[in-house]
Amino acid sequence: MTELTFTDLEQNICTIANMIEEDKLYFVQMAGPPLFAILLAKRMRTPEVGFLVEEGAIAPSPSFPLPRMMLGAARSHYRSVAWEGMNIVDAHAALGYVDWGILSAVQIDKFGNFNSTFLGKDYDHPDRRFGGPGGANEIASCCWGTIIMTKLEKRKFVERVDFVSSPGYIDGSPGAREKVGLPANTGPYCVVTERALFGFDEKTHMMRLDAIAPWITLDEVLERMDFKPLIAEPLGVMLPPTEEELTIIRAEIDPGGYTLNRGEWLTVTV
Amino acid sequence: MQVLASGTGEFKPPNPDEMRSWVREHKVRAPVDKVMTEHEAVSRFVDDGDYMAYDMNIAARGPVSLYREIIRQKKRDLWIAAKFSWADTTLLVAGGCVNKVDVGWMETGAIINNALREDRLKFIEWTNGALSYRLLAGALGVPFLPMRYVGGTDVFEKSGAKLVEDPYTGQPIVLVPALNPDVGLIHVHECDAFGNARIYGAGVAPREIAMASRKLIISTEQIIGNDEIRRNPQRTTIPYYLVDAVVLAPFGGYPGSVPGRYVADAENILEFAFAQIQGTLDQYLEKYIFSVASHEEMLDKRVGAAKLLRLTQEETVREGYQ
Repeated sequence: MTELTFTDLEQNICTIANMIEEDKLYFVQMAGPPLFAILLAKRMRTPEVGFLVEEGAIAPSPSFPLPRMMLGAARSHYRSVAWEGMNIVDAHAALGYVDWGILSAVQIDKFGNFNSTFLGKDYDHPDRRFGGPGGANEIASCCWGTIIMTKLEKRKFVERVDFVSSPGYIDGSPGAREKVGLPANTGPYCVVTERALFGFDEKTHMMRLDAIAPWITLDEVLERMDFKPLIAEPLGVMLPPTEEELTIIRAEIDPGGYTLNRGEWLTVTV
Repeated sequence: MQVLASGTGEFKPPNPDEMRSWVREHKVRAPVDKVMTEHEAVSRFVDDGDYMAYDMNIAARGPVSLYREIIRQKKRDLWIAAKFSWADTTLLVAGGCVNKVDVGWMETGAIINNALREDRLKFIEWTNGALSYRLLAGALGVPFLPMRYVGGTDVFEKSGAKLVEDPYTGQPIVLVPALNPDVGLIHVHECDAFGNARIYGAGVAPREIAMASRKLIISTEQIIGNDEIRRNPQRTTIPYYLVDAVVLAPFGGYPGSVPGRYVADAENILEFAFAQIQGTLDQYLEKYIFSVASHEEMLDKRVGAAKLLRLTQEETVREGYQ
């Protein structure tokens, strides 16, 4: 038995890093945990994996430590294979070259539609305004599948999101995405949180609980959700971060702790 | 073509022939020296009520010295394309210059939230890609383009996009209207006096903005000779006839980085962030904008040579940027 201390973001980064495959192409949201997930995979298991960022860097090999202002910085785009623009990389996704998008969400519903725009009832007068869809909409629309990370909280897993910034399976009906002009056979693949891992049922497109952390119960997971997901049988068990993964994140990828310190600290015995 | 659904967001109706006439009448086709001060460029080419687009953002290769001049000259009622934007929107809203924002993505703190609450600011929702794509349509001289995203979301409802039946495949497809900004701002690594400009590194949509905009102001780290441009034409991102003004602005991206030249000044960016949290952005604007007459004076009196040297030295990545 060992005691481990990590943040929810670190757990999500490690979970996603373990899903990365070298023969696939990724589109990642820049300058935060989605980027760190692919960087951790590149550093540990899949050094050659390629990824795109929306401002147009193709397959960069970032130079560590990344600067505090990493958005668009030279270190972030170091040793790319090409420097293009947004319309070019978005077109690569629209053409079907990009297997997986990695994104984070403020709020998500049972069909994987997610919000990064505002909380409240009135678009023009939000309770709290967020940055907007950014590039997440195009990534969630055009990649073959989307990996979405967020935190397991009742206010985030809701029956109806306040605003759909990026599409999931819309209303879950067959062909719903195609009917609004999105590429066929695309959609969210999984939702990664620090306490539970979700997939989507192939027929109903409903969110399905696939695995939970070893240090939490099923009831505790469901209490943290506003809707009841489908539940896989048997229910899987998530892997906690390893000491090695945490060391690489903290010492190499984000040594300043600029992004990760904002998370919830969890101390568990595994 | 059958329109299946329409968003409700406001947009300037595209008019390619009007754009062509404007180009014919206003754009100088002779290679002439366009170097001028930021004061002259902004007072001549940015008008109250203009639609304004810019490339990149305060974090990296944004035209930040031009933002400061726009605030200094108290330009009003601008409508901006906040694609891949960051604190750029906050700065311009704090300066009282902007009342309408096409949203892709941006930093949102007290300034933005209060302005929305008090109806001083109107948002129209798009995405980073959709705004870049609208600029592409504007750059191609066509009224709209079809694309594979935005559909199926509340973004669609709040934008000016349409869902139509594609006359070729019979499938539903989203259309977005061309965007031809009144004025575009682009900060570049180097250009000649005529405006032939080079950008190194990735960029959001510099070519699209340069081609789509009616008026175009280029700010540059360095002015190089036309013979140098002609010796390596492959390097040219923007040709001269698209450009109306060239402003020499070393450290024009400050407090952000210009990749390959200098890193961002995290201290200044935090000063800005804390000022917003503490409600003292007026003091920040006074210190860096209103109390100095120019970008040059701001660098000299508020930043200083020692810090600029340090920011340059800390940019350890030069590969590919020269």
